[in-house]
Amino acid sequence: MSAVSHWLFALVRRLLPPSLRPWGDAAFREAGAITRPGEALRFSLGCLFWAVGEAIRYRLSNSDREGEETMGDGRTLGPRGAAVLCGAGATALGLAYMAAGGAPDRHLMINAGALAFGLVALGILTLADRRGHLPAGPTNLLLGLVLLAVSLWGVSVGGVTRWVALGPLIIQPAMMFVPLMAVLFARSRDTLSLAGIALAALALALQPDRGMAGALATGLTVVALIRPDRQTLAGAAAALAGFAAAMAQADPSPAMPFVDQILYSAFAVHPLAGLAVVLGAALLVLPALAARRLSGPAQSACIAFGAVWAGLVLAAALGNYPTPLVGYGGSAIVGYLLSLVVFPRRAAGPARASVEAVSEPEGDGPLLSVGHP
Amino acid sequence: MVRSRSLSPAARRVLAALVQAGTTGRHGYDLCREAEIKSGTLYPLLIRLEAQGYLVADWQASEVPGRPPRHVYRLTTAGCRLADAHAAAGAGGEVLPAGRLA
Repeated sequence: MSAVSHWLFALVRRLLPPSLRPWGDAAFREAGAITRPGEALRFSLGCLFWAVGEAIRYRLSNSDREGEETMGDGRTLGPRGAAVLCGAGATALGLAYMAAGGAPDRHLMINAGALAFGLVALGILTLADRRGHLPAGPTNLLLGLVLLAVSLWGVSVGGVTRWVALGPLIIQPAMMFVPLMAVLFARSRDTLSLAGIALAALALALQPDRGMAGALATGLTVVALIRPDRQTLAGAAAALAGFAAAMAQADPSPAMPFVDQILYSAFAVHPLAGLAVVLGAALLVLPALAARRLSGPAQSACIAFGAVWAGLVLAAALGNYPTPLVGYGGSAIVGYLLSLVVFPRRAAGPARASVEAVSEPEGDGPLLSVGHP
Repeated sequence: MVRSRSLSPAARRVLAALVQAGTTGRHGYDLCREAEIKSGTLYPLLIRLEAQGYLVADWQASEVPGRPPRHVYRLTTAGCRLADAHAAAGAGGEVLPAGRLA
């Protein structure tokens, strides 16, 4: 069996509820008995989709009490699970609004597909993070370079360069990666990570993308305020400079139907559609409340998450910028789910919180008290 | 609780493959090929059939030395009755792929 299949089955095992893990093991043995690599990979991918479905059903139904006790925390949803539900709820409310507004079927399919893709990507990223394969420095530097490449050689529309064409799909990499970069930087700040943030700020200024630049500046400024050290202050300064440079340039992008200005236009469709959009936008920042029960790097990352997504919602309210998740656009859905990787899987009790605080890798500055128990 | 609604075409094909297998049973990948379904469809189906008492799953040592054991699936008596009932219903009305039923 190939390394990819091994990796996929490790994810399958993580996703499956405890009561179904023997079935996952059985499927793994089957994949091992398949001699043709392509067949084994197809078999493994099919099992991954099965496991994702079971994981969602398990989280939603809360029926497998025995399994929860095996997991040892006695709770159904940890901060990450609750945040995933918020993202899925916001996406579902957006689909309802778009269906009510007569959006093309393609819009609905792309958002639903992005949700499914984002969930799988989050699972893979979580596994990589647990195994220590998601260091903030190299990851942020790589993503910063990708964003810079997009701003230099990406798809341009009306003098704005911020997209990449993947066959029939046009994606916006900044929307996918900037929230992840901000939360990784907030969790673990080092020189490489800071360099990645500076590259991202430069890329957003070159594109220009006022909305994303403003969201990055908001997130990093909040982190600098709660943990004022040299790295956070430098990161916030870079992000603010990028935002100022983006604001200094004209942004001729017109409002697109089902993408921009929908916090207002949805009410013209139907009051309930407008309510769905507002409620969906509020759901996006709700997971940040988990910061009250966290400490150390996890808390910083959680606060950065809330600030970045609040910044994006604010930008959508003030100008012609996409309303994430509730409007049309798969990049924001994927970006939202990717940025959930920093949320702890399980709710932290006092003991867990103290362990996280002790294990913080770098010396953090003073932290404002946010009600840690 | 046993559901009374009719089985999906995929479930019928899996049952038919298991009827053909008899007491020997079938491995998961063999069922995928014989019933022409994807693994993501097969396992939820097997889990449901096992939970409803139509199927037993046992670990069976591999005939190839050094290979780990694999799950082998066999129909229970209730499973055979279910397969027979649906085969009869299929013969009366629904067309099933040729050669699928014993």
